Amino acid sequence: MTRLVLSGNYAQSYAARLARVQVISAYPITPQTTIVEQLAKFVSSGELPAQFIKVESEHSALQVCVSAAALGARTYTATSSQGLLLMHELLHWASGMRTPIVMGVVSRSVGPPWSLDADHTDTMSQRDTGWVQIYPESNQEVLDSVLESFRLAEDLAIRLPVMVAEDAFYLSHTVEPVEVPSQAQVDAFLPPRVPKGTLVPGKATRLGSYVGPADYVRFRREQARAMERVPETLAAIEEDYGRRMGRTYGGLLQEYRTEGADAVLLTMGTASTTARAVVDELRAEGKRVGLARIRVFRPFPAKEVRALASRVDRLGVMDRSWTFGQMGSAATEVAAAIQSSPRQPRLSSFLAGVGGRDVGTALLREMFRDLLSKEPSGLRWMDMEPLKEAPLHG
Amino acid sequence: MAKLTLPPVELVRSGHSACPGCGPALAMRYLLKGTGERTVVSVPASCWTIIATGYPTTALRIPMIDTPIEATGASISGLRAALDALHMSDVQVVGFAGDGGTVDIGLQSLSGMLERRTDALYVMYDNEAYMNTGIQRSGSTPLGAWTTTTPVEGMARGKGEPKKDIMGIVLAHHPVYAATLNVAYPEDFLRKAQKAASLKGPRFFHVLAPCPPGWKFASDQTVQIGRLATDTGIFPLYEVENGKLRVTRKLGQLKPVRDYIKVQGRFGHLTDAEIDTVEHEVQASWAALLQREAHP
Amino acid sequence: MIEIRFHGRGGQGAVIAAELLAQAANLDGKTPQSFAFYGAERRGAPVVSYARIDDRPILLRTAITAPDIVVVLDPGLVEVAPVMDGLKPGGTLLVNSPLPPERFPTPKPAFVATLDATQIALSHGIGSRTMPIVNTTMLGALSRVSSVVSLSAVQHAIDEHVPARPAENGLAAIEGFHTVRVAELPGLPGGKAPAGPVAPALSSEVPEAPIASMASDVLHTSSWRTLQPVITREKCTRCNFCWKFCPDNAIDLDAEGFPVVRNEHCKGCGLCAVECPPVAIEMVVEGGA
Repeated sequence: MTRLVLSGNYAQSYAARLARVQVISAYPITPQTTIVEQLAKFVSSGELPAQFIKVESEHSALQVCVSAAALGARTYTATSSQGLLLMHELLHWASGMRTPIVMGVVSRSVGPPWSLDADHTDTMSQRDTGWVQIYPESNQEVLDSVLESFRLAEDLAIRLPVMVAEDAFYLSHTVEPVEVPSQAQVDAFLPPRVPKGTLVPGKATRLGSYVGPADYVRFRREQARAMERVPETLAAIEEDYGRRMGRTYGGLLQEYRTEGADAVLLTMGTASTTARAVVDELRAEGKRVGLARIRVFRPFPAKEVRALASRVDRLGVMDRSWTFGQMGSAATEVAAAIQSSPRQPRLSSFLAGVGGRDVGTALLREMFRDLLSKEPSGLRWMDMEPLKEAPLHG
Repeated sequence: MAKLTLPPVELVRSGHSACPGCGPALAMRYLLKGTGERTVVSVPASCWTIIATGYPTTALRIPMIDTPIEATGASISGLRAALDALHMSDVQVVGFAGDGGTVDIGLQSLSGMLERRTDALYVMYDNEAYMNTGIQRSGSTPLGAWTTTTPVEGMARGKGEPKKDIMGIVLAHHPVYAATLNVAYPEDFLRKAQKAASLKGPRFFHVLAPCPPGWKFASDQTVQIGRLATDTGIFPLYEVENGKLRVTRKLGQLKPVRDYIKVQGRFGHLTDAEIDTVEHEVQASWAALLQREAHP
Repeated sequence: MIEIRFHGRGGQGAVIAAELLAQAANLDGKTPQSFAFYGAERRGAPVVSYARIDDRPILLRTAITAPDIVVVLDPGLVEVAPVMDGLKPGGTLLVNSPLPPERFPTPKPAFVATLDATQIALSHGIGSRTMPIVNTTMLGALSRVSSVVSLSAVQHAIDEHVPARPAENGLAAIEGFHTVRVAELPGLPGGKAPAGPVAPALSSEVPEAPIASMASDVLHTSSWRTLQPVITREKCTRCNFCWKFCPDNAIDLDAEGFPVVRNEHCKGCGLCAVECPPVAIEMVVEGGA
């Protein structure tokens, strides 16, 4: 284990190198570029003996990974925003073919109007493509999640692609200390991929076949079942990772000071770190509030959310994206999860941090205040005042 | 008995779902006889998606991966990358895409594969329209041809634009080897497939694959019409190796294009004057081809 | 409500037949619905299409599994496709065949009607020998053997909706109306249809990914065929052109180099016959005529 000061993007690159990926393919897009630039260095220097296929589009990048993974290679790609949207068709191919690709996504807003900043519209619009989605909140967790993702994706009971989505700039271009495990530690945790369900030269097999309706739905059910196995499999993987590396992240839904809470705010990604600080402040002021971070959005932690709902009266969800006619993206899913709960907490939906709008402590305090004092009233667009000064970039 | 002019190995099985007299079925059969058992093929959405038969059967004796229609170039780059990474560099990688999947929606991916010098063979089997979806025009449909989206109705006279010059586009990328092939000339086809298999780097085949339902001719005429395509100069057979062009089927006097056009329902509306125009264009492009061969 | 199923071959106009029936029924003042499921059907392969006709709005959008009427556009399909499946007792089976109705016994009691629609269509110049277009002739016959549609409505629908040779198609429909023969049959002992071709068996569990590895040879594409090649061994020079140009790999060479047609896979395209230099192969009508 070595302590390095790394950006979230470099944490992705280092993890991919430690995972000994065999095929990388990518197309540049801000703010993903430093991930693939660093990987290009690793490959060129010989530190990472991988094939790096530089393609002419994100669509092709993911197709390269799908075809390479179909032959049994360990594959990695990374993208963001518009690039992820262009991949949309291939996202379905990757999961339908059960190719265990790991992809780093730098979560960024979607144009128009152009914006390069943090937002969850890109990844949320891909939530039903059959990929596991993990949303780390620190660069350390980015590195750890990428390594766990390869184990999860390649587990023979799972065989689903995984995206590790880090907030643009808040992680991608923020540097902070990261404990980088040794190659020996990672090799012990992550053995080479076992090729199963792959194409073998010389063997008459067709991957992707045309099927009739009766078989189509059965393949889809197998895919859904694999997704249902993710919570248990990931828990086992995390436990092993924790034993070897000394870090775990609490499964799909990570709770913080929720014991005895009157109100709990659910967050994703980097807003969670700041929200944790606000919880500490409010607790110190005698307010009984807590935090629950949705670490894994797909599969959605419905069971864990229901368990939380059974003991808290007020739930709030902060989202960086929303569903038209409904609430925030995660809030809508929380509402669906708790509808079968014996106790129905009051649910508030807060939209904040859209298009990179900063989510500061004051804003999070406002959410907790609303949560404790107001009645839920659908989606609340927070922080809508125009900026007093021109932004520093853009 | 006569010696076999093609290897007896059959890597395409019977029971496949091609229409009777299918040109693309012959194309895959001849191609794999040339590239051999250590071949992996990537097939985008196209007639061959269906020809290969539905789950749980497959019509190929080699591995095949399905891809979306526009992704063949990227797919074969991925297959090659994995084979190299997994130390199976002896395996031939073939992309087998239709004309629409190549000259229209797949052009970007093809260009990318050629530009990054992927060691693979990209085969475009050209039946000159979107046949799998029921005969809609593609960029590879010839001038004047009837399709369901270029009807002969009122003032409309079939497709109003000429066929896209895919070989010109491909050659601008300087592949190590590019050739035109025709299912009506299997020995020439085989020789080119074997030659391509012996080379490293990006390779491209433009295969003419006549389609009885799409071109509107009887299913027993596929080879006859294929031969006419070449012998009238409409689809000359040549190869380009390291930039040097060689015509592989020499023709003295070209047969009249009328012979080719008149036997296909898709051209049934063309007038003598319109056929004469085609004739002049074919003569000119044939002369230009011979010129390129003589003076590279 | 009357439910009708059409059996034809890809390219033969079965879907158009159902649509044309819907147009005609509409002209009769009824509510029609016609549909087909598009799959991997290719030219010559057995296909089905459907129609519902009612006096009231139709409230179903589902497949038809127990038709009142089955119309078979190609005589060869009775042998190779499950045309009798689900036909209601007392229903009607209408077959394009020169044979008498008694030659098509149904599992349950039914009215069986036949006419040589191929001959009628060809005499009016509709379609070709390998692919006669008999749908309009069959609709004319249908208007005779069932009250589901009137002949005049069929004629009007042809006038309005058949792009090529509407006059000839109209005459063919009238001839179909006049030549169809009907018999009331008692049903087969046991009430079961003869077993048809068996599709490859699927396991009850599918693998995780759609990976196919069963050899396609188990699929017998002979059902697509209307003509079959007959090789005269005495004329054969063993040049192997037929083997070389067979798109279906349906010709094997025996130990002496003579070609042998693999019957179950030949689709009857006729390429071998056209490409045979000594003209040793003849395409004959399937089943022998």
